[in-house]
Amino acid sequence: MAWLVVFFAVPVVYIALYSVNVLSFFPGAEGFTFSEWKDFLDGSIFLDKFWTSVWMALTVSAVAVLLAYPVAYFLALCTPKRKYVLLLVMLSPFLISYFLRILAWKVILGDQGVINTFAYWTGLRAQDHPIPQLLYSRFSVVLVLIYVWVPFVALPIFVALENLDRRLLEAAADLGASRWKTFTRVTLPLSVPGVIAAFIFVFIPTVGEYFTPLLVGGASGSMFGNLIADQFGQSLNWQTGSVLSFFLLGVVGILMALFARFLTIRRVATG
Amino acid sequence: MDIAVSKGGLRVLATIFGLLVAFLYLPLAILLIFSFNDNNLPVFPLEGFTTKAYQQFASNPELQAALGTSAKVAAASSAIAVALGILSAIALVRRSFTGKTAISAILISPLVIPYIGLAIGLLIFINSVPFLDPGLRAVIVGHVVISLPYTILILAPRLERIDIRLEEAARDLGAGSFRTFRSITLPLIMPALVSAFLVAFTISFDEIVIASFVVGQDVTFPIYLFSQLRFPSLLPQVIAVAVVVMAASVLVLIGAEVGRRIVERRLGTETGTIGEPVAEPVGGRA
Repeated sequence: MAWLVVFFAVPVVYIALYSVNVLSFFPGAEGFTFSEWKDFLDGSIFLDKFWTSVWMALTVSAVAVLLAYPVAYFLALCTPKRKYVLLLVMLSPFLISYFLRILAWKVILGDQGVINTFAYWTGLRAQDHPIPQLLYSRFSVVLVLIYVWVPFVALPIFVALENLDRRLLEAAADLGASRWKTFTRVTLPLSVPGVIAAFIFVFIPTVGEYFTPLLVGGASGSMFGNLIADQFGQSLNWQTGSVLSFFLLGVVGILMALFARFLTIRRVATG
Repeated sequence: MDIAVSKGGLRVLATIFGLLVAFLYLPLAILLIFSFNDNNLPVFPLEGFTTKAYQQFASNPELQAALGTSAKVAAASSAIAVALGILSAIALVRRSFTGKTAISAILISPLVIPYIGLAIGLLIFINSVPFLDPGLRAVIVGHVVISLPYTILILAPRLERIDIRLEEAARDLGAGSFRTFRSITLPLIMPALVSAFLVAFTISFDEIVIASFVVGQDVTFPIYLFSQLRFPSLLPQVIAVAVVVMAASVLVLIGAEVGRRIVERRLGTETGTIGEPVAEPVGGRA
């Protein structure tokens, strides 16, 4: 506990102090002010970027959930023995280095990458006319993030479906409901908590994603997280950077408070 | 007749599953193929089989140094994370106190908080306090924060499944709380402890966002890989290393999981003999 307080909670407070300029990177320039906050909230490019990131994160989470749901449903229907083998097959890429999985996509999507050179080679596209927007675009960032998150999304949905009381389905069938109706009226509503948990678990880290856009995003695919990093790296503007990070952490905090019941240990561990 | 899905429906679902697995594995397979391709760029057409890239990285001292650094950081951070994980898990499972829900949410939160936020916080923090400088120690601190939730998530369910009467019996026989922990609890959670350690180790070994902000002059393995991406001619080597690390991490984690299940099943039957059957089926910690 103390560890987290010192190295997790205290840094958050420090960010807050920086953001109102009580602390400053350059000694002597301190002084309490909200000016950076005002600039930020008065419709700056930073705020635009934030909404772009939110939109991208929503796309990623929604597509990932849509892809994962049928898969989780299939796994829940399998015989117990096959179920866990297939689950392991699906999850093992998730255990592989995050970095390497993104790297694979960089190799695949690049102008001199696997897809484009394959197209040149087979004559599908003229030499040196790569497919536009394949790498370094919003498309590539969203694609890679979906790829990274799908197995993780399937897990809470699978657990929710797995814990479903089968007798409810039998009751629905006895009362004359068709399979489709049973699904839409019984199974789907009962799996909603799992879906929400999955959605939140993808959405929150994706809004602040930094590394994926850095690798495959280029200028047009960059996200809010990259802006924050730039303030601390190239521009050496810690105050603006702190405003941005505190804003991000605030949004995350609010979301987590709203969905806190999906984030307890028991929920995460056992569904 | 299945009430949940028709035969045709099941076939459709199976196809979707198959496609998804193909989508998940194809990029990795491509990485594997191009690591053996006899060309300095990962481009079509394939040029023939070679292990050149593998030989090159085996004789690259910078790379080996980076691997060593990462191994050290990962060992230290996962040891600390596991130790703190045990303490937190015991507190959460065995004790009741006010604000338990809030505290467990805080303990889990680094799991979802964007790493960039944690990295910036840590960067500002180490610039403001005298006892930490940018460097490997700061990286270790950061990695403990992010791997702690994983260790708790692995240890807490295992702790919950231990028959509390075993600990009570030890107390009745005069063992102090530390003795009880050492002779009863610790051996029983040992398998979970090992997998928690390995998971924490892989997380730290792989982590780049936090590391790149607070590492200072040192070079960990992911940071080294990232710096090499700027030179296209080194790409095959990077891919070869990636493949080796990929294979190693999969083997270690699958091995750990299988081992944990075997040992837990054995322990499960042992505790079962004194009256408490294993409550959850294998795989309950999905």
